[in-house]
Order: sequence, then structure tokens, then C-alpha cells
Amino acid sequence: MGCSILSGSKGLQRTMRLTSEGIESIVRLGEPACHDPRSTGGKAAALSRLAEHFVVPSGFCVTSTALAGIAPPVHLPNWLREHVLEAYRKLVATDSPVAVRSSAVDEDGASSSFAGVHETFLNVHGTGALVAAVERCLESFFSPRALSYRRERGAEYGAYEDVRMAVLVQQQIASDVSIVAFSANPVTRRRDEIVVTASWGLGESVVGGTVTPDTWIVDHSGEHLREERIGDKRRMTIASEGGSREVDVPRVLRNVPSLGWEQVGEVARLAARLEEQTGYPVDIECAYAGGRLYLLQCRPITTLM
Amino acid sequence: MSITTSGAGVIPVVKWEKPGDEQMFWQLDRMHFPNQLSMMEHDFIRTFYSQGFSVAAEGYGAPIRPHVRRFLTRHYLAFAPLPLSETELEDVGKRFEQNLGKAIPEQGKRWEQEFLPEIRALIGDWEAFDLAGASDAQLLAHWDVTIQRLARLSHIHFQIALPMLLSIGLFDEIYTDLFGAESSLESMRLLQGMPTMTTRMGQELWRLSRIASNSPTVRTILEEQAAADVVPALERDPACASFLAEFHEFLSQYGHRAETWGISYPSWVEDPSPAIKSLKDFLSQQSRDLAAELQELAEERDRLIAGARERLVGYPAQAREQFEFILAGASVAYYLSEEHGFWIDSYGIDCVRQVILEVGRRLAARGALETGDDIFHLTFAEARDTYTHPGTDRRGLIAERKAELAAYRELQVPPVLGTEPPGPPPDNPLFRTLGKFFGAPPPASDEPGVLRGAAGSAGQARGIARVVRSLADAQRLQPGEILVTETTAPAWTPLFASAAAVVTDTGGVLSHCAVVAREYMIPAVVGTGVATAVIPDGATIEVDGSAGVVRVVAD
Repeated sequence: MGCSILSGSKGLQRTMRLTSEGIESIVRLGEPACHDPRSTGGKAAALSRLAEHFVVPSGFCVTSTALAGIAPPVHLPNWLREHVLEAYRKLVATDSPVAVRSSAVDEDGASSSFAGVHETFLNVHGTGALVAAVERCLESFFSPRALSYRRERGAEYGAYEDVRMAVLVQQQIASDVSIVAFSANPVTRRRDEIVVTASWGLGESVVGGTVTPDTWIVDHSGEHLREERIGDKRRMTIASEGGSREVDVPRVLRNVPSLGWEQVGEVARLAARLEEQTGYPVDIECAYAGGRLYLLQCRPITTLM
Repeated sequence: MSITTSGAGVIPVVKWEKPGDEQMFWQLDRMHFPNQLSMMEHDFIRTFYSQGFSVAAEGYGAPIRPHVRRFLTRHYLAFAPLPLSETELEDVGKRFEQNLGKAIPEQGKRWEQEFLPEIRALIGDWEAFDLAGASDAQLLAHWDVTIQRLARLSHIHFQIALPMLLSIGLFDEIYTDLFGAESSLESMRLLQGMPTMTTRMGQELWRLSRIASNSPTVRTILEEQAAADVVPALERDPACASFLAEFHEFLSQYGHRAETWGISYPSWVEDPSPAIKSLKDFLSQQSRDLAAELQELAEERDRLIAGARERLVGYPAQAREQFEFILAGASVAYYLSEEHGFWIDSYGIDCVRQVILEVGRRLAARGALETGDDIFHLTFAEARDTYTHPGTDRRGLIAERKAELAAYRELQVPPVLGTEPPGPPPDNPLFRTLGKFFGAPPPASDEPGVLRGAAGSAGQARGIARVVRSLADAQRLQPGEILVTETTAPAWTPLFASAAAVVTDTGGVLSHCAVVAREYMIPAVVGTGVATAVIPDGATIEVDGSAGVVRVVAD
């Protein structure tokens, strides 16, 4: 690793460990090294496993090992910074935006959500902003709020000192349509029905329920439509400078189906495959961007279990 | 005669022409036909609408049909739905919108590859025909062909006009929706500044004025002679020969426009006074640069389009695609609104008029008519009949019809007749667009000396109001004065180059007047309903084209 200009003794140690033991500081979503929640955290590991078989937005993870021992005020050591930038340049061809998220690593590595505790940075453009976002993300790990969250759940997660953090950098896709789908009908509890809901723009409006989305109910083959309700979609979230904003849906799109019939079928088949693979009914978030379907998240439908 | 008057003719009583007429809602179309209609003009309109609008509407599957009548010697227009149930009408309406939607991206290609070549071929045939040298039999055959060609031109006209109007209307709606624009003026700026036959005409005229300016002889004649005397004076002086040749070349290309739509008025080729008047005005405006002005409009347009695209970054691809689709359609449509006017409404119709005039001349020579122009008081069928039956004398009938026109000349006719529909007009994109074209009833003004209309072209101006009743009357308009008129047609266009602002009684933001005012960057308030009636000629007025308000400052 000849790229490092050493910034301190900790950096030196880390470099030596990496070189001697071959532990990678950066791993790509979809490669086996990224599947290990002890190294990349629950969130990134789950996505990485999905990325093996499905189209998820590409990304990389700065492993907890690489980040271990860095204390606030956080400045990435130069060697790590170089690695992050190299991975970033490989990830995004031009100045397309990325999302930077924390992925906490707990004892069992399975279910730590830390929802809203650690920071997420959307629409990050350029190398300067990327490094800053990774550093702020890591810093949020030491915020009073995060510290007390971990202390309160100390029993659940084991010793406070054992909790560590990885940082996930992922291509942020410009969703034309955001979708939430269920491989079983959560309302009627029918296991042979797939429910697809969709609306224009980024996921916030459809996930957050601020819009009446379009809804399709189809069978598991994705070929037979049982019900279709086109919503009056009034608001949508779109990407904007350094984040997102909510705007009115243009009238020409308001009552137009956000998915074509072909696309509804594609989403339904994706949900069915995920259920088959995981073995339980799933609730997925996905999105169409530039005509391509991306899987963003997959969870069990807890109400059915 | 379909009309009677009650008592002294103070309150007109309309005698309906067909059963059911009284159930329809008739609107006076002063925008296209501000004057009384001769019988042949009405026949022309009937052909234009029944062979044109109706056939095109049928082709696109429209749920409405137009009807035209000559009531009280004026042109009234009604749009009536097909006799179907409400749900059937809704279905037909949806399919109609889909059909027009499909026509939107095709309109440019169809114009270039299909319609324009056909129109030019028709015009070529008309121009190749030796009217004066034809035998009576040849002229008769040519008359019949001409009436058929008129029907064909009318059909093409509305095949273009329907998707064209819809494109522009939809663009205005999507722009206003996306960006919360205050008025349609904002969206129309994204379409402006396209080179058309109309802008080319303006620049050609400007070029001629530069040539005139550099020739002392031509210049003196233009400056000193009255417009009507200029051409004879130029013809007398050999030093003017090359300028005169250029001027005639200009007229043969661009001079087929007449005072109003229709066949009744001479084009510039017959009476070049309006073009001469513009040359005179341009001579007194040495510092202007029309090409640079058009360039400025085009640059502003490109800036605004880039700005709109910038504001749509982050929107779903479908929203951006819709915007681009409608912008592309509307840009072509804006161009076509000038092009079709030039080639069909002006050039093609002038060719029809020339055939009518030749038949008129021959009928007058036989004594069937007093003068050749009297042929316009006959219907097409009557004129043909007279032509094929030597010895027929129409002078008595024509005297009656002239008397009828005279009796109604001063009559203030109602803006609407018949039965007002129970509900509001159908709320669909085409109807909304027709509203922007013909204009809505002007908002009432409760302030004395203040008139309200539609904002037609942005900006403010203050100046002398020149209330003009006809294109000939418009010769009185001096550069820097404000043109006040019922309506304007393509032949009026050059006046916009020297007027400070324009105010009309009729029309909406998509009317000819509003479009041309924007191209010439002068303020316009359109569709005031009453400007020519209440603004005194010579009064000082203030025009706020952005707000659609006219203020009479001093009588």
C-alpha cells in the first residue's frame, strides 16, 4: 500500500496490520468480505448479500476495523483517506451523488437499527464533501445521543466498547418512481397476493405515507392483476442541492400510473424471489431510475410472523 | 333574407337560419371578421369551417363540431357537442385528446413533408394559370378546381391548427403548473424568437428601407409622397427602377396578406400602401436593428429554457420527458402558427381571391354586375350560375344586398346570441386553449377611465392612442403612437414595428395580435371588448401589457 502518507502512530499501526494480515479497509457491496456484519455492520452486510443476486445501487464500505480507534474530532488518516477516494472514483464515473450512511456493528451483527441516531448524508457531491461526510458520520457515533442510546441498550448490544461502526458509501440513485412492495398482503394476510405501491420521486413520500400511492395487487407469478388503484399523487420528494425537497407533482403526472404493467410484474417477481430466498414474507423498498429497477431494502413482514 | 328588425331597427331580431339554431350558443367572432360579411365571404367561411374544421375534427375524432352563421350581417360561430350521451361524450373526448396527443410530435414533419409541399404545389398551379388569357370555358373549369382546392386548403388548415393550438395550450398549462407562473406571458417567452416567414417579411422590409435610405431619389419620394402615390412616383423616375424591382419581388413573395382573414380585402400585391407605409416608418427609425431584436428574443428564449431545465433537475424522468415533449411540440406549433398563416390564410386564400376577381371582371364586362368587386355579394353557387348563364343580370339582387349591409352597418350587434349553455364550457385542454385564442369576456372595470383585458405582451407604454377602424385608416398611426383596434391580421404586422403598444377589443393571449406584439417586444392588452368604442382617438393612454390594463390619462 504505497499510497499512505502517515499522519500519526495510529495510522502507522493500522497500515502495518493491513499489510501484514491482509485485512481490507474498503470492501465493495456484493463481495463476500462485505457480507460479514462484524466488519461492515448489519445494514451494509445485509445489502451486500442482496447485491450478490439482485440489482442494488453499488457502493463500498469503510470497515469498522479500518475506523477503529479514530476518536473525535474525526480526521481520516491520510492513508485511509486515499483509499476512500480511490474507491469513490471507481464508484462514480462523473460527479454523480452518493449517500453516506453509518452501519453499526453490534455483537451479533444482525438487527441493530440505530434508526435516526447516526447521521445519514444524502446527495453528497465531490471528494471534499465525501471525506467530510464520512468524518461527520463517524463523529455522530460519538454524539451524546448515540452514546446514551448505546448505554441504554447496553444489555441488548453487549458492552459499550464492543459496539463499533462502519461507514457505507453508496451510489445515490435518482429515483423516478419509488416503490414499497409486500410479498404477502399485510392487510388481508393472504400469502398468495403481492401488494405493490408506488409513487413519483424519491422514497420519502411513499415510505413516509405523505402521498396516496398507486396500488396494485397481483399474484405471485406477477401476471394476474387482482386490483388496481391509481392514487391522486399530489406531492413528491426530489433530490436537490445537498439533500431533498418536497414539491407538488406536476398535474400531467398526478393521476397517471407511476408504473407500467410490465414494471408492476417485474416488482412482483422480485418480491416473490426474495420471499423464496429468505424463506419468509418480505417487505421491500425499491425504485426505478433510468428505466432500471433497484432493490434498496428488504425486511421480513413482522406482522405476519 | 334571414333577418328582420323590430320597429326602427334599434333592437335587432334574429331570424334563425336552421331549426335548432336558437338552442345553440353563438359568439360573434370579431377577431377574424371584424366587419360585415358579404354573401361570398360567408360562403367562404362556411367552406372553411364545414370542409375544414369539421372534416379535420372528424379525422381526429373530436366530440365537437363548429357551426357558422351570418346573423345581422356578421360572423357568428358556435361549437356544439355531438349528439351523444354524457358518458359517450367523455369517452370520445378522451380518445380525441389521445389522437391529438399523437399528432403533436408529428406536426413539424407533416408540415414539412406533406402539407407545405402540397400547398406550394397548389399555389404553383394557381400562379401558373393565365387568368386574363383563359377562355371562358377554361376559367369555369379553373373556378371549380379553385373551390375544391379551397376545401382542401381548409382541411389542411385545421389538421394543423388543432394539434397546434393544443400544443401551445398544453405547454402553457404544464409550465404554469411546474413553475407557478403568474400569467401565460411567462411561458410564451420560451417559444418566442423563431425565424418564420413573418419575421423574414419584417427583415426583408427593413432591408428595403435601408436600400431606400441610401438612395436619395427613392428616399425623397418615400418621405414626401402619400403612401398611395409612392409607387406611381417611383415608376416615373428611372433612378428608382432597381429599388422598384426589389419591392415587386418582395410583394410577390411576402405581399399576399390582406387586411382581415377571408377573401374580401386586397392583399399588398393589389394595394401595396401598407407595405409602403412601413417603409416610410422604418426610414424615420434609423437606429433600429430588427435582426438584433430577433436575436435578443431568441437568446432570452434559450436562457429561459435552460433555466427551466435547471429547475427540473431532480424531477422524475417522466416529468422532465413530458416537459420536453410538450416544449418541443409547442415550439414547432408556435412556428407553425405563423407558417400556416402565411401559406394558407394569406397566400393560398389570395390565390382564391384572384380567381374570383377575374370571374367578377368578366361578369361586369357582360353587364351582369355593376363592377367586378360586386361578385362578393353573390354566393359561390350564384356566381357560377351567373357565369354559365349569359344574359343573367344580378344588379338588382346585389343592390338589395348592399342595402341590407347599409341598413345594418351602424348596428351594435350582440356579442352572443341563442341559448347560453347551462354549465360552464367543457373543461378540457382544447377548450381552455380556444379560450386563450379567442379571449375570455374581459374582467369588468369599475374605475372610470380604466379598461381591462388580457395581458397579451409584457411591458408598459404611454402615448397617443390612434383608434384605427381599418388597415387604410392605420396609415394615420405615427411611430411611437399606440395602436387601438378591434383586431389585427397578418397584413397589420409591420405596424407593430413602429407602434409603442397595441390595444384590441378581441382575442386572447394566443391571438395573432398578442403573438406578434411579443415578437416585436411591445406591450399589448387584448380582448378589452370595448377599447375602440371608449378610447377617444388622440387621447393619451397608458398601457400595462403585463397586467392587462389600459388607463386613459387625458382625452
